[in-house]
Parts: sequence; structure tokens; C-alpha cells
Amino acid sequence: MAKTGANRQTKHDTLHELKKNRVLYAMCIPGLIFLLLFSYIPLAGLWMAFTNYNVVDGIFGSPFVGLKNLRYFFFGTGMGPKSIYNTLFINFWGIILGLIFPISIAVFFNEIGGKLYKKFTQSMMFFPYFLSWVVVGTIVYGFFATDVGVVNRLLTSFGVEKIRWYAEAKYWKTILICCNVWKWSGYNSIIYLGAMAGFDKSLFEAAEVDGATRLQQIRYLTLPMLRPTAVVLTLMSIGRIFFGDFGMVYGIIGNNPVIGDEVAVIDTYVYSAMRSLGFSYSTAVGLFQSVMGLILVTIANAVAKKINDGEGLF
Amino acid sequence: MKRKLNGSDIALKIFAYVFIGLIGLVCFYPLLMTLSVSFSSEKVIAFKGYSAIPQQFSLDTYIYIFGTSGMDILRSYGVTILVTVVGTFLALLITSMLAFAVSVSDLKYKNVIAFICNFTIIFGAGLIPWYYMCVNYYHLKDNIMGLIVPSLFSVWNMFLLRTYFKAISQSLYEAARIDGANYFQIYLRIAMPLSKTPLLTVGLMYALQFWNDWWNALMFVTDKKLWPLQYFLYNILSNVNAISSGRVPSGAAANIALPSETVKMAVTILTIGPIIFAYPFIQKYFVNGVMTGAVKE
Repeated sequence: MAKTGANRQTKHDTLHELKKNRVLYAMCIPGLIFLLLFSYIPLAGLWMAFTNYNVVDGIFGSPFVGLKNLRYFFFGTGMGPKSIYNTLFINFWGIILGLIFPISIAVFFNEIGGKLYKKFTQSMMFFPYFLSWVVVGTIVYGFFATDVGVVNRLLTSFGVEKIRWYAEAKYWKTILICCNVWKWSGYNSIIYLGAMAGFDKSLFEAAEVDGATRLQQIRYLTLPMLRPTAVVLTLMSIGRIFFGDFGMVYGIIGNNPVIGDEVAVIDTYVYSAMRSLGFSYSTAVGLFQSVMGLILVTIANAVAKKINDGEGLF
Repeated sequence: MKRKLNGSDIALKIFAYVFIGLIGLVCFYPLLMTLSVSFSSEKVIAFKGYSAIPQQFSLDTYIYIFGTSGMDILRSYGVTILVTVVGTFLALLITSMLAFAVSVSDLKYKNVIAFICNFTIIFGAGLIPWYYMCVNYYHLKDNIMGLIVPSLFSVWNMFLLRTYFKAISQSLYEAARIDGANYFQIYLRIAMPLSKTPLLTVGLMYALQFWNDWWNALMFVTDKKLWPLQYFLYNILSNVNAISSGRVPSGAAANIALPSETVKMAVTILTIGPIIFAYPFIQKYFVNGVMTGAVKE
């Protein structure tokens, strides 16, 4: 009986709290309804991954097929493993280059004195962040168009044969990786500059007094002090390594039938499979991705906690 | 106290100037190229190719665009502007209310609400169930709401705003409480006016997101009247792309009217136009937002 009494007590407390702060809770309602509609209710639709969905029987009435859809993803077509490989490949290089470029930009940016020069160059480097992937797609076209593109013009001026870029699939993973670095380096360098703004200046002054060159200061002070930021950002990227950038791939490749399959990431594959292979199968692919994401984010978070004295990513 | 610069320091400085300058150019060159092609005459582009210097400066392309397919582009502009204005306003309202509520230390279940938000980042149902609900139950297909509603709330932006709201001293709220104000009045009259810069920052982030969005259109819109600008451009590019691959059946290729090189770039410029003009004024807010978002409280 004591237990129910305690339950009643907590229930009473909850009601009291909800009543006391009803205005604040009411203010949360629109946002929570949004999450309910677009994040939580769709979770029920995951059941489609284990069925053979048809419109007549609906999500929960369609025949149960267990793991058949997932098996088909791994073993049925070459596209499943290929899209996983592409996603990991593009993201892996994105992470590596996404460390090298933003950190170098931030470090060297810090060595520059001229205020106007700094302002000007930072504006230029940040600019790609403001462009949509479709706009980046037209820019890429300007570079790689067969007849009018900048790259082929350069090649012919050196006497090299033109390349029909949009008909050759093998170059495009590299091109996509470059686009990714191009779009995000300026943005990410600002994060590192923000971290550098918080550094203890006296350390650098002391090093200067001791006769350390700027290069030595970068090597022994700046870079080690940037490491926590770099680790957190990298862990976050690793947590999302199974998620490809749909906008990037679709914005740049569009409907191209030759390149499309070759550079497909899981996200674009889900979208195209929705049309060709149906809802159940593509839901299963999406579920695989979500589960891998959950596992990796959990691991990344645990690692971050271990390194950062108990502070995780979220 | 300052030690004299030695050779290595000078070399480093020169290298830094050159390196940063080069990266800046690489980031900015494509815009110059796009601009210059859109202001060039079509014949010269076909003959000489793309370049960052306008060749035979002409406004023909823009005159042509507004003369022929002008109505389509203007309508797309209208759709984009409507979606951006309405979407940004609603998103900012919804986001700031929730962010304010969970920033009040008095709120007992703020962590529960924060978890409800966080969980959606960690685990999602993926595209298909989301799409299924949007189309079959929320009726967002070929509906202008489909371009707005699915993007009205970003958990990241909410946490960003919460960081700012948390910096406001809670004693201000308590004083207002004693004077008989409820929390909505406090939000409206104290928290919001004190957070003009953060609200501008997050508002601009939402505005950029709505302006640049074509994903929602790709998902929900078939009716050409509802195409936002970005999706208009996407369709041009996608067709060009398919034809450049050389593997489209000739019959199909004949049905696709390809815009000329200059038209493509002019539409691109029209698409990013407002961003270019606003860029000098809005950039600092984004820098501010990026730095705050990166520094965890």
C-alpha cells in the first residue's frame, strides 16, 4: 500500500508541476507536435521493413516477411553493398580532408595581420556555405561540361584530349569529395578559429620569450590545443558516417543515368529504390541506416565522454 | 619584449598570406565565373568556353529570360519568397518558444523535453515512413504547405537559441513574476527583446534553409506552379546532366528543351542574387551562430 501511496504522491507532484508551469509547457506544444508528426509517428512506419507492403492492406495488414527485405539489400543486388561502400568512402575522405583543410585555414588565418585582407578572404571562404547544392551543381557543370567547361578548355590548351566527364562514372566520387570540402572548409575553419579565440594568450607570450618561432608555437601549442575540438567534430562525423549527403549527390548528379548508380549513397539509393523496388524494401534500407547510425552515435558519444571528462556529444 | 622576427617567421607569414589568398580565390572564383558567363553573349561562350571575365558584355540573357520564360521564373521567385517569409516567421516562433521554455530553470521536466528533442537526432525512421505519413496522412503532396511545414523546427537551432536564452539572468524573470507577469509575457517582453542578435542569427539560418530548399519540392511537388526557384534550377540542371551523359534515348532527348549556357548561369545568379546582396550584412550573424553552436555549454 505504501507503494501506491508514493505513486499517488508522484502523480500529484506531476500534476502540480504541469499546472504551475502550464504556460511554459503550452509554449513547448507546437515544437513537440512537430516532432511527434515528423519524427515519432513515422517510427511506426518502420514496420513496413518487415512486411511486403501493399496499398490495400496498409502498413500493419500487409504480409509479414521477416528479414527478407534486409537480406535482399545485402545479397540480392549489387546495389546494396555498393551504396554502403560509396557512403563510407565519400564520408571517410570527407572526414580526413575535413580535418586537414579547416585546421590549416584556421592556423594560417591566425598568422595574418592585415584586418582588411582577413575580412575579405574570410568572406570569400565562407561564401560556398551559402549556396545550395543545386547551385553548386551548376558550378560543377561550368567546370566539367564537355565543350564549354573550364577543365576541358584547360586540357585542350595543353594538347590533351577532351574528357566527356558526364559520361565517365569513375571520376565522380573524387569530384563529389572535392565539392564537399569546397563547400564546408570555410564554415568549419570558423569553428576552429572560435576555439583559438579562447586560447590562453600568456602561453604564447611565454613561448615567445623563450625564443620559440611561430612555427614551433603552432606545432607545440596551437595544434595540441585544437585537438579536443577536432576530436569532437570528428566523432560527430563518425556518428553519421552511414548517412550520405542526399542533396550533394542529387544536386550535382541529378538524373544522370550513367553516373547515378556508380556514386549512389545509401540515401539516394533509398530514394530511387522507393520508386523501383517499393516501400517495404526501401524502408528496410533506411532502417539499416538508422540502426547503424544509432550504434555509431552511441559509441562516439561514449568515446567523447571518456576523452572530455564526462562531457558527451549531446 | 617582442623578439625580432626571424627568417622562419617571415617565411611562415608570407606562406600564410599566399595560402589564405589562394583558398579564398578557389572558394570565390566559381561565383565570378557564373556571373561573368551570365553577362556574356551566348556565341562567345559557345566558342571560347566559360571564364571568369565577361566576354562581349551583354544583358541579352537576362532580357531573354524575362521575355520568354519570364513568367515561370517570376512565379518561382514568388513561391520561394512566400515560403521563406512565412516559414522563417513560423519556425522562429515555434523554435524560440520551446527554447525559451527549456531555458527556464524553474521548469521541472525541461530535461525530458530536451531528451524528446535529442532522440530525434539520434534515431529516425528514415525517408520512407516519413514520406508515407506526409503524403498519405498529412496531405502535403502538391500543397504549398509541403514546402513549409516539414522544415519548421530544427532541434539544432532550438539548442542554439537555448544557449543564448540561458545567458539571460533568471532574476529578471523572477522580478517580473512578482509583478504578476506569466511566462509568455516574460518571453515576449523580456527574453525576446534581450535576444535580438541571437534571434536574427537563427532567423537568418532558417531563412537560408528555406531559400535554398529544393528537397521538399523534390518530394512533394509535381505541379509546376509550386516550383520554388531552386527546384526550377534543379530541373534545368538535371536535364542538362542527363543529356550530357549521352545515354538518353534520342527520342526523349528531342523532347527536352535545353537552355543555353548563358541562360543556365543567369538562372543560377537569379537564384543566389538576394544572398549576394545581403551577404555583407548577414555574414557576421552566421559567424556568430557557428561559433556559439560549436562551443558547448
